[in-house]
Amino acid sequence: MSSSATDPDAGLPAQTSKAGAALWLSVLRIAGALAIPVVAFFAMWATFDFLRSEDANRVIVVVVAVVVGVFGVFFLYWGMNKAVDLLPFRYREGVRPWIFVGPCLVILSVFLVYPVINTILISLKDAFGQEFVGLDNYRFVFSDDSMLRSIRNTLGWIVIVPLFATVIGLVYATLADKLRRGEAVAKSLIFLPLAISFVGASVTWKLIYSFRPAGFGSNIGLLNGVMQGLGQDPVAWIQLRPWNNLFLMVIMIWMQVGFAMVVLSAAIKSVPDEIVEAARIDGASEWQVFRRILIPSILPTIVVVVTYMVINAMKVFDIVFVFGNAEADETEVIAERMLRWFFISANQGRGAAIAVVLFVAIIPVMIWNIRRFREEESIR
Amino acid sequence: MRRIRLVAPILAFALIVAACTDDDGGGEGSPTAAGSPAGENTGTVNVLSAVEPEENEVLQNIADATINQEQSDYTVEFEQSGNFEEQVQIRSQGGTLDVILLPQPGTVVQQAQSGNAIALEDMGFDIAELESTFGEYFMSLGEFEGKHYGIPSNVNLKSMVWYPKDDFDKAGYEIPTTWDELTALSDQIKADGGTPWCVGYQSEGSTGWPATDWMEDIMLATAGQDTYTQWIDHEIPFNDPAVVNAGELFGDVMFGQGNVLGGAENTPSVAFGDAPLPMFDDPPGCWLHRQASFITAFFPENAEAGVDYDWFPFPSIDQQGTLFAGEMMVTFRDAPETRDFLTRFMGEEVQCAMGEEPGSSRISPNVNVESTCYPNPILAGASEVLSTALAGEGEAGFDASDQMPPEVGSGSFWTGMVQYMRDGQDSLQSVLDEIESSWPA
Repeated sequence: MSSSATDPDAGLPAQTSKAGAALWLSVLRIAGALAIPVVAFFAMWATFDFLRSEDANRVIVVVVAVVVGVFGVFFLYWGMNKAVDLLPFRYREGVRPWIFVGPCLVILSVFLVYPVINTILISLKDAFGQEFVGLDNYRFVFSDDSMLRSIRNTLGWIVIVPLFATVIGLVYATLADKLRRGEAVAKSLIFLPLAISFVGASVTWKLIYSFRPAGFGSNIGLLNGVMQGLGQDPVAWIQLRPWNNLFLMVIMIWMQVGFAMVVLSAAIKSVPDEIVEAARIDGASEWQVFRRILIPSILPTIVVVVTYMVINAMKVFDIVFVFGNAEADETEVIAERMLRWFFISANQGRGAAIAVVLFVAIIPVMIWNIRRFREEESIR
Repeated sequence: MRRIRLVAPILAFALIVAACTDDDGGGEGSPTAAGSPAGENTGTVNVLSAVEPEENEVLQNIADATINQEQSDYTVEFEQSGNFEEQVQIRSQGGTLDVILLPQPGTVVQQAQSGNAIALEDMGFDIAELESTFGEYFMSLGEFEGKHYGIPSNVNLKSMVWYPKDDFDKAGYEIPTTWDELTALSDQIKADGGTPWCVGYQSEGSTGWPATDWMEDIMLATAGQDTYTQWIDHEIPFNDPAVVNAGELFGDVMFGQGNVLGGAENTPSVAFGDAPLPMFDDPPGCWLHRQASFITAFFPENAEAGVDYDWFPFPSIDQQGTLFAGEMMVTFRDAPETRDFLTRFMGEEVQCAMGEEPGSSRISPNVNVESTCYPNPILAGASEVLSTALAGEGEAGFDASDQMPPEVGSGSFWTGMVQYMRDGQDSLQSVLDEIESSWPA
């Protein structure tokens, strides 16, 4: 209907043609939104078939992939945009945005909205996804001992990991910022673990926590080396309930501090020097500068970092999975339970129900994050 | 005029795409199989398994020396995955599986149930012939709704107790054949200042499974095959007195003062592959290790069978049991090359070649494969015990945890055994109660 405002021809006698125009506009919008994904899909299908062919020259394959991937999509948008120009004037600006937003909406609904709805449906069905069982799977999620423990542990992860990673990252960024020389080196050292995969980091830490009982050779684990150096008996760290949860969280903190540090460091550098200097001239101590100037200035960035980490901690799975039988060690987390039930125990219903719970738990974090973002925008 | 120019690039692009498709379709020119739409020869048979990378290499070597050389229609590619269960789940739903080696018959049935696996009957295999080759009992494990889905491809004897032969003989110990003799032997070892057992249950996400083997061995030897099968089928509860009795005997070994190297509570921290290693120390850190035949792959490289180590069957308690496990081939793509692969791979020639392959600890479930195929005396001995048990009836029992529903067999049973080790003998009843409550309705 917005088109009527921009439509100079719209007049009283054209009442019926106006309804027709609105219909046409909707049809054109939908067609425009669908055109690019559909054409792109078939183009990719054809290209994919070609790329799969093993006798094809590799160089040509790469060239085709680049040409189709980059120029193909560009030409699609460009061509569609030109095609809109061919439409009668009154339709043009009503359809144009849909050409650009539409493909995104279509792809999102195919790859995001549909799977979410399907997951919710499966979560109401039995182990094989065949018959509806009502809320049984959800009853299981909130009554099974192991599931409840996984919820407890995940809560621990989303509080402890972001807290420590952000605080350490912030302190490190602030201190590194004051270095006269070697700031880049100091930061790189902390940043390095971020380049390792979660599984890689877990394997590394497995060696640090390694334990061998008496009779099975000397202990090669770093921590037990320290313990023995201090004249203590070696400890089976990963069996040490409930502290083993903390030992696993340390791994994620170790990995994420680098991220927090880099992002916060960039934010600190963007705080105008005048403000900091003005505060110093007014006699503020370094702590006051940090507490009253720096922190408020970079608060939006801190919020982004914390949100990112909360979501990451909610999804943690690799670390727990690599470290052994989570159920026996009582280190279960929600994402790990989801995989366990969906794949290993082959119970689609329960796996999907856990996925839905995890999904719903992440929504408030996202909403809070978007709200904050909007507030920031409105201030600017 | 102007309009045509604008549309031209789009048309040109569409033409290029169309041209590419045509080229591709024409260039390949492979005949589409008329009879079966899924039966097109892709030139490869992919075999996905959960075996260790070393064993995968052995399998590939055997295939390269036999099947890949004998014909040129297709190439067999063995692939192993550390996260086999997830891979199978993902790829069976995605339709990108040819043949898999399933270590758990329970999941053979599950694959059949999900409708992705292809029945042997539908591929034209003669079941009676297969039953005479692998024994009715083994074949029946891959049966679902009257159809068979699995061809046994490997078997390993689980009721094996390993010992350091040279030191053992020097100390004058005798091989026990009954539970009482075993208890007497371990008392004697302790009296001589040694530690009887080496035990390790750590196996990443599957930690606890070696303990379930202990339980099964004892169940089979105390309660007998009928009760054992009822236990698997949940016709008796998991906390049935028969299971409690087996758990008590198991606990007597594990928790007996000085029985286990490092103590029972630490067994979940010892990797199952590292567990037998102290046995090869001088003097031996331990004298007995109960594990399936594959464990020799984890023994020190210079250890010699029959000299440094040897084995005896797990002693009889109320009767003699032969616990075994194995692997079954399940097919997901019915095509001439997969059928040909199955036929060749289960045949005596390839199976015998597998026994001769150095570095292979696989034992053929094909009862027609002579024990002379195994240059390794350990495997030859195990093969003899297995062939007798598979061909006959009553004595053999397939690994119970592999047949229980995955929630139990690959979940709460493993976890329960770890908890038992950690919490001590008094926790047995509550552990078994918890496993019982986890049994899916």
